[in-house]
Amino acid sequence: MHAWLESLQNSGFSQWVVGSDSIWAYPMILTLHTVGLGIVVGSAAVLDLRLLGIGPGIPLQEMRRVLPLFWVGFGINLVSGVMLFASEAADKAAQPVFLVKLLLVAAGVVVTARLKNVAFDVGIPPAHVRTLAKVSLFVWAGAIVAGRLMAYLK
Amino acid sequence: MDPFSAWLESTRISTAMRDMTWLWPTCESIHFIGLALLIGGAGYFDLRLLGFMRRVPVAAAKAFMPWAITGFAMNFVTGTLFFIMAPHMYVPSAAWWAKVFFIVVAGLNAMFFETTLGTRVMLLGPNEDTPTSFKIVGGVSLFAWFAVLFFGRMLPYIGTGN
Repeated sequence: MHAWLESLQNSGFSQWVVGSDSIWAYPMILTLHTVGLGIVVGSAAVLDLRLLGIGPGIPLQEMRRVLPLFWVGFGINLVSGVMLFASEAADKAAQPVFLVKLLLVAAGVVVTARLKNVAFDVGIPPAHVRTLAKVSLFVWAGAIVAGRLMAYLK
Repeated sequence: MDPFSAWLESTRISTAMRDMTWLWPTCESIHFIGLALLIGGAGYFDLRLLGFMRRVPVAAAKAFMPWAITGFAMNFVTGTLFFIMAPHMYVPSAAWWAKVFFIVVAGLNAMFFETTLGTRVMLLGPNEDTPTSFKIVGGVSLFAWFAVLFFGRMLPYIGTGN
């Protein structure tokens, strides 16, 4: 596993990402990852807030419309995230806070996918849906914090 | 270093904050959470102004704006702390000035909307398309906030003079 991560980190693509002076390399991939973060967590947050009672004038069914945006943002971050990981694969894989971030992102995706199935059935979201919405807000905030701390907790 | 940055960084408040090594990463975490609230809340309203999600009454789509403003306030405070701690990273940076420019554009755009078009929002019911003026405001807002995000994240990489 470690040998494979090392070879990934030393690949031509990875060396270009971290070694190039071009802003199209590491800076642009990193910025795309932040754009995706805004779309993913922004769309999850408005859905969660609506389920928690914010914006009662918005028909609950209509909040389904943010889900495609959520997945577009997630796609951007999956691709940019894999690129960022590849460029420092062995280092990142050994970083506990990176694994914490991955777990939180996975939990956030599972919770959002679950909300998609249970959130839009009834007029007023029942208690277990509101709980899921709160969990979603905390998990996504946690994923952001863990991601940010990757730059500090080596 | 420019004289202003040199002076600010020599002040006791700047020095004391830099000595708290946890403060910078903590502010960064808050700054990114604030970013998501701002993009989510403002972006939702912008999309309705652009004519998407027409079954949502325009006035109702504004419900997340207090959360967007909360996100902006979080980022204004943490951003100010970054500036006090390390002004030399911002004052000479073209990316930072571009970021400030787009914050002003987004702010003036929102103010224009509130003072001239805002009252017409209430008259628009569900299933109604938005007038072109609303679409322009929504488009400018969405573009400006993503530009703020772009130049903020690109800050260490472009226009630093290095």
